[in-house]
Amino acid sequence: MLSFFSSAEFQTVLSALNTGFIKTLQLFFVTLVGAVPLGLVISFGSMSRIPPLRWLTKTVVWIVRGTPLVLQIIALYYVPGLKGFHIWSGGESGRFTAVAVAFVINYACYFSEIYRGGIQGVPVGQQEAGLVLGMTRRQIFFKVTLLQMIKRIVPPMSNEIITLVKDTSLARVVALQEVIWMGESFMKGNQGYAGLVWPLFFTAVYYLAFSGVATILLGKLEKKLEYFR
Amino acid sequence: MMKCKNFRALLLALAMVLSLAACGGTSDSGAKDAPPADTSAPAETEAPAEGGDQQDSDLAYVQGKGTLVVGMTDFAPMDYRDAGGNWIGFDADMATAFAESLGVKVEFQEITWDYKVMELDAKSIDCVWNGMTLNDEVKAAMDTGNAYCLNAQVLVVPADKAADFKDLTSLEGLNVAVESGSAGEDAAEALGASTTAVAKQADALMEVSAGTADAAVIDLLMAGAMIGEGTNYANLTYTVNLNTAQGLESEEYGVGFRKGSDLVSAWNEFWAAAIADGTVLKTGTTYGVQESLILE
Repeated sequence: MLSFFSSAEFQTVLSALNTGFIKTLQLFFVTLVGAVPLGLVISFGSMSRIPPLRWLTKTVVWIVRGTPLVLQIIALYYVPGLKGFHIWSGGESGRFTAVAVAFVINYACYFSEIYRGGIQGVPVGQQEAGLVLGMTRRQIFFKVTLLQMIKRIVPPMSNEIITLVKDTSLARVVALQEVIWMGESFMKGNQGYAGLVWPLFFTAVYYLAFSGVATILLGKLEKKLEYFR
Repeated sequence: MMKCKNFRALLLALAMVLSLAACGGTSDSGAKDAPPADTSAPAETEAPAEGGDQQDSDLAYVQGKGTLVVGMTDFAPMDYRDAGGNWIGFDADMATAFAESLGVKVEFQEITWDYKVMELDAKSIDCVWNGMTLNDEVKAAMDTGNAYCLNAQVLVVPADKAADFKDLTSLEGLNVAVESGSAGEDAAEALGASTTAVAKQADALMEVSAGTADAAVIDLLMAGAMIGEGTNYANLTYTVNLNTAQGLESEEYGVGFRKGSDLVSAWNEFWAAAIADGTVLKTGTTYGVQESLILE
């Protein structure tokens, strides 16, 4: 068994999977960095006092949440090119950009609903107290509501973040070579190895390790925010 | 107070629209900034300048951007990676030579096989060159060069059950794994099998190996390379040639280009010259496909 881990086969597969997992991680972090703030903007839209804006935002959220992400990726990557607008550059970087945009929009819509729940879950009394103290609405939002909202949304956000790690595997539909693509490649043949099934299942180790780390970090964050209680 | 609220909501709406626009903007500029090192960058800046010309001549479009992007999958012995990670194989080597003859660089792009036509039409690749069987769907969606290689569909079964399949003329009652959209799928269905469509030919082999399908139908060229003694599928073997069983002629492999592309005639000229000077046979011999080549 030990000799297997030092074999050329294991080393080759491992380095291919590592390359793939770096792609997975890039997509994960880009999505997070883009979707966390965009989600807040969308949640403002769906709580807006202007009905047309509210309806528009809710329709967008409905469409994005109501259709499969894999379909959104395919549409976003191919449709512009088919219509003659070559907005994505060639090669790997164009694929990554297209996929990242699809992920950011998709996750921002999910996040926006979590934020909305968090904001609306803060008791009205808190805002009233702020008004009594003579705070402006802006001050109330940033100094009172937002902080309490963050505390409330950590558990549901952790859920989405762990789902996101695994959802990145959908990117392989447009041939973005993330870790599952790399694992699968050894079934067909890659670098002289063909018909290997274990690399595909071995990718689970990467996901488990990463979601383990994410769970611990998010748990720590939750603990840190407990002083609000 | 009410007016003030409305105003603030309007501001938020504006912020949202702007941030969406900014999002699009950064992704765009990101895409354009990223590859200056890449040869594909000049293509984007030059494309508008060419304008109408680009629609007329695919060849001029490819030469303008300086790269021929070859859409392919990992498919030994046609396209596969060597230990150093470089693309080699019969198709890969010939594609490199073809790009050279056009005076451009070759770029290999792995694609999802089901999306090959979309990739081509969206111009994310310039040709499909990957042991592609010239069936009706392919001919309808692409313009193809002359056939360069012969192929057949074979039935892959567990080696210990091979005897049962020897003189089979019909696949009725069998559960057969096939690659979705492949020539093997058509052949298996024509012979009455109930088929399970999987994503890749290699997946079809796994189905047989795992016992979740009775048999698989894959390309002869691939079967030769991937199953039997000395491979990871030593317990599998191939028997029936489905083309003979159906009384059909062998299949032919060809290279696919966009509809109306003048790259087709450029390719045909290149290939005729490569046959004449022996390059095709020499490259074919290197990868063990010389028996299947069409050399006329």
